[in-house]
Amino acid sequence: MFRIIKKSLKKGRVTGQYPESSVPAPEVSDATRSKAKLFHRSLSIREVDTGSCNGCEMEMNALMNPIYDAERFGIHITASPRHADALAVTGPVTFNMEKPLKDAYRSTPEPRLIVALGDCAIDCGIFKNSYAVTGPVEKHIPVDVKIPGCPPRPNEILDALLTVLGRRKKE
Amino acid sequence: MDNLNEIVQEMVKTFKDQILDLEQIQGIPVFYFEKEDILEIATYVYKTPSLRGTLSLQWAADLNPIKPVCRVYYLFSLESGGHWLILAIDLLEEDRLFPSITPRIHAAKWYEREIRDMIGLIPVGHPDLRRLVRHEHWPRGTHPLKKDFPWNTVLERREGTYAYRHIEGEGVFEVPVGPIHAGIIEPGHFRFSVAGEPIMQLEIRLFWKHRGIEKLFENLSLINGVSLAEKVSGDTSFGHSLCYCQAVESLLSVEIPPRAEYLRTLFLELERLHNHIGDVGAICSDAAYSLALAHCNQMKEQIMQMLDRLAGHRFLRGVNRVGGVAVDLDSSQLDGILAGLAKIEEDFKELTDLLFSNASLIDRLETTGILKEQTARDYGVVGVAGRSSNINRDIRRDHPFAAYRHLNLKVPVYQYGDVRARVRVRVDEIHEAISIIRQVCGRIPKGPTYIEAISSATRGRWALSAVEGWRGEILYFVMAGENGRIHRCKVRDPSFVNWPVLQDVAPGNIIPDFPLINKSFNLSYAGNDL
Repeated sequence: MFRIIKKSLKKGRVTGQYPESSVPAPEVSDATRSKAKLFHRSLSIREVDTGSCNGCEMEMNALMNPIYDAERFGIHITASPRHADALAVTGPVTFNMEKPLKDAYRSTPEPRLIVALGDCAIDCGIFKNSYAVTGPVEKHIPVDVKIPGCPPRPNEILDALLTVLGRRKKE
Repeated sequence: MDNLNEIVQEMVKTFKDQILDLEQIQGIPVFYFEKEDILEIATYVYKTPSLRGTLSLQWAADLNPIKPVCRVYYLFSLESGGHWLILAIDLLEEDRLFPSITPRIHAAKWYEREIRDMIGLIPVGHPDLRRLVRHEHWPRGTHPLKKDFPWNTVLERREGTYAYRHIEGEGVFEVPVGPIHAGIIEPGHFRFSVAGEPIMQLEIRLFWKHRGIEKLFENLSLINGVSLAEKVSGDTSFGHSLCYCQAVESLLSVEIPPRAEYLRTLFLELERLHNHIGDVGAICSDAAYSLALAHCNQMKEQIMQMLDRLAGHRFLRGVNRVGGVAVDLDSSQLDGILAGLAKIEEDFKELTDLLFSNASLIDRLETTGILKEQTARDYGVVGVAGRSSNINRDIRRDHPFAAYRHLNLKVPVYQYGDVRARVRVRVDEIHEAISIIRQVCGRIPKGPTYIEAISSATRGRWALSAVEGWRGEILYFVMAGENGRIHRCKVRDPSFVNWPVLQDVAPGNIIPDFPLINKSFNLSYAGNDL
């Protein structure tokens, strides 16, 4: 135990040891920006998977690891849509998940931000028009922010979320 | 191989009147029977001490327009030498009934329900004919894998309810969980029946994420299927695409260059490594030990960033292609991998010493979620879960693919089948993976990494391939269609086999231990639901 503590002390901080995102941050409309303003210092996100390949989930999980540590920006994951400020929806909406998605949407208090995370959530990707897929997230609930990528890297997700919150330095 | 010949001759002698046809495809004997005989013969393969076949896969293919039949295949992995053996029956045109083997071979239970949902063949005598893939709101008569079902059909929503099994009695109540869970995980529905604390019954309902992957494959050409295979289960992108590529390569008789084989082995082990390390951390975190989670997540992230630098994708997408790999590594990159892994190995060793000497953690892990060896055999459990319940199977050793036949490999096997055993298997496999990567870096031959696949396969020909992914064995059956397209692609993620066994493992444990048990199996919803 002491060896590990000693090692951690010697190692110093690991947070922030990731390359800068090379993808331009998504466009954010004024309406979304003013909605996001309310949450200024914190953002509770509920993740809803409607049929992804679980790549996006892994990257969302990575967002919480000590290296990205999204919590330092007040971004955290909540267990219930009722506590959420934002829904992050991943994957094309499958025939079987359409109703649970709408339920989660209705349970989220207003004002709410809806984030379509990953290419599949934005336009169904490779699953487009399949009999088992009923369309992108946008078709079922209004989407405020789109974060493209298959899957988007954690630094890209973080970058996009900070842009939405208006906390990213302007270039 | 002699051994397999003996087995085939023995089978021919025993059933000479019943065998309609016998062929060898890729060295796998395929026996054709009348459908009435299948129960007897499958039971023979399953029970006979010299064979002891585990049902590894059961699937059906609509052979129209090649032939007006639906064919059901049964793939058995034999205990002796790990040989494969396939039984097959044909159902002519309008015939939809075939005898269920589930009453004798438990492992067939979900396969037969799946066949009924997807192709509309009815396993007569199956004890549980509720819908599996098609949820209750699907219209009647929707069988997506039939050839006359257009892939882009828009389904109409119907009303309907799923009949859960109920336990009734004083003080018994049900705890429904999902489909949307509390963490960042995939959707699935669990229904616990409890009286007091212990779970009396668990019913798992999945297939919320059914995306129609097997049907989408039928729109693609053999060469282009790789990108879809990568999206079957994101965390196993490389394992799935490798398995798909191998099937297509043996279908097109392509021999890939040795350097590509070594690179595939390297990447597969790196994928295993980061997933296993992440799992060890997540299991500890479910036992409320977050120090381990923080350390493991750090190591996992380091490996994933390394993959991003090496291959341009954190999940290794776009690396595999039919005929080899699209990424080559130079010697300085290989040295970089070794240096990175040496540090990770040292850190991980220190962490595991700490974990296994932590009494409060071990108390949570030991005797929790015991999977008995017999139960595991009945279900045909594969991968980490199997090896922690004394099932000594590993495709890397039993059916060597890529460069594994040139490498030394130890397969860790534990007996207790509890969460601790599953953690131990993972820890041992992490060290083993690092050792394999070292061997690969030391022996990798020079040469090209890719060979152009030109020949096309005659329609109706098929190939089977297996890969030991980090979760367990992945199987692909690919049948060629017209003009280099896919006629049928059956995908089996290890999760499909291991999910139902959770229903047997959970009873007797308390609900707060269930996340721990579930995590120690860590099954994919996406790979299962397809």
